[in-house]
Amino acid sequence: MDTNSVYESTPNTAVRIQPVAGARRPSVWETLTSEKFFKWTLLFPLLLLLLIFMLYPMFYCIYYAFHEWGMQGDAIFIGLNNYRQMLHDNSFMEALGRTFEVLVICIVAEISIGLGLATLWNREFKGQNIVRGLALLPLLVAPLVLSLLWNFMLEYDFGALNQILSALGLGKVYWWSPHFALFTICIITIWQWLPFSIFVLLAGIRSLPRDVFEAAKVDGASAWYTFRRLTLPMLSPLIMIIVVLRTMWLIRLFDPLYGTTRGGVGTELLDWIVYRTAFVYFDIGYGSAMAIFSLFLTIALCAIMFRLLMKSLGVIK
Amino acid sequence: MVKKILFWVLTIIVLAVVIGPLLWIYLTAFKAADDIFTTELRKLIVFAPTLDNFRRLFTDYPYWFNLGNTAIVSVISTVVVMIVSLPAAYSFARWNTSGGHLLFVTISTRMFPGVVAALPFFLIFRTFGLLDTHVGLILLYVYFNTSFATFLLYGFFREVPAELEQAAMIDGYGRMDVFRKIVFPLILPGLAVTTVFCLIWSWNEFFYAFLFTRLSARTANVLISSFWGSIEVQYGPMAAGAGIAILPTLLAAWLMQRYIIRGLTFGAVKG
Repeated sequence: MDTNSVYESTPNTAVRIQPVAGARRPSVWETLTSEKFFKWTLLFPLLLLLLIFMLYPMFYCIYYAFHEWGMQGDAIFIGLNNYRQMLHDNSFMEALGRTFEVLVICIVAEISIGLGLATLWNREFKGQNIVRGLALLPLLVAPLVLSLLWNFMLEYDFGALNQILSALGLGKVYWWSPHFALFTICIITIWQWLPFSIFVLLAGIRSLPRDVFEAAKVDGASAWYTFRRLTLPMLSPLIMIIVVLRTMWLIRLFDPLYGTTRGGVGTELLDWIVYRTAFVYFDIGYGSAMAIFSLFLTIALCAIMFRLLMKSLGVIK
Repeated sequence: MVKKILFWVLTIIVLAVVIGPLLWIYLTAFKAADDIFTTELRKLIVFAPTLDNFRRLFTDYPYWFNLGNTAIVSVISTVVVMIVSLPAAYSFARWNTSGGHLLFVTISTRMFPGVVAALPFFLIFRTFGLLDTHVGLILLYVYFNTSFATFLLYGFFREVPAELEQAAMIDGYGRMDVFRKIVFPLILPGLAVTTVFCLIWSWNEFFYAFLFTRLSARTANVLISSFWGSIEVQYGPMAAGAGIAILPTLLAAWLMQRYIIRGLTFGAVKG
């Protein structure tokens, strides 16, 4: 047996048999898959990708946020003026306010209705798998397609919903009127994402320890009391997960706007105004500043919520 | 008994609300324009079905071509994502490489607003002539799917016991063999789930597709959205196109019931 094959058949454990002096050095492949370097070898493609796709756009945006540039000529350094302009920009502040409005309405509605339906379906019943499968259907459908569909269904004259409503004697609704349009966008979003909350919470309810609830029953606790004092606190980590994830997604709501109002009738949200500034008006500097702002807003919101989550899990005080 | 009836009434109402709009796509797809733009209540459901919308979609518009673009971009970007994420997730899960910092950095890219990446890439793609090409769109989809795939796979890798690998290594397996012969077969279901998710995210993606493609790499979603234009509104072809484009996602949702919640919560909740 020559030294080479001894080297290769040796298990890669701490007590490796070193090749004797004078034997050839390990090949590049052997070095890369050696115990010491293997984990970094595996990570290399990802690191490369992160470097190109994450750091580059971020620094690019940060750089142009300090400049005024309209895609032609030289960028002019203007310091913090873009951010200052943002503070005095009414349409930006309104968009920001609306975004928070949408966040609150959607998350509160999704969690409360979700909790209700999760409690409803938390039992064994015939056809539960079919009910579950059907209820999950909208989750993976493209949000854009669904918004186009809802836009059509909520049309004043020809929309199916208004026709049904007026047939029931309830009268038609101006779904896309300036007062109501933002709320309509919320309804569409809630409709698509409700199943998500339902089944996350249902998974949580199913995994709760049974004996605590039996003890509560024996002690004569009412259903409401049990729900408020036992179920809800024990579900709070899951509720936090829903809040964090939904915040992340809702803060960049774009597709439902494109399919319906296209930012009109008082529905312009954060992502839309950034899009409009950068890609319609080609105000790259100002658009970058807004993008950076929305990036840090997301990170800050998520950091706060992660802290809350950790608290509720008892990891930190 | 009353309780049971109430339960089913509620369940059926909820299901009707969930399924109704989806069925509406297919009903509309088979309606003639006269049956779509009518205020006659009866015609909501009773109408003479026609294939006219599909015929117009296929002859007047490059629908199959655009759907093909969607498919090409989705498949290739998913393959690239897997090549990058699979080893990275394994490294994070087995060695806790960099003590979780890099994993956090990876996930945080998922929080990035799409526009942050869109702006710089739009300008650099313009320089390199990558606008309206498959390559450009594939790069963007790789960007936004990698973090998701890495994190989801990370969760699946964590479920493979380290003892199993140690045992194999004592038996003389090298690192590569351990991965190929021990870990990989165990991770296959997780890999399949992650792949389907990446395919769907790319399939559904609209923002980048809308900004970065015009004609030659235009995806089906962008074509469908163009039917709701400021000049003309064509709900018929729109519904027909949407009905075909969402079929794979509906199918995936039905087949992956058990994994949807796990995937959407990045593995945090095992639905």
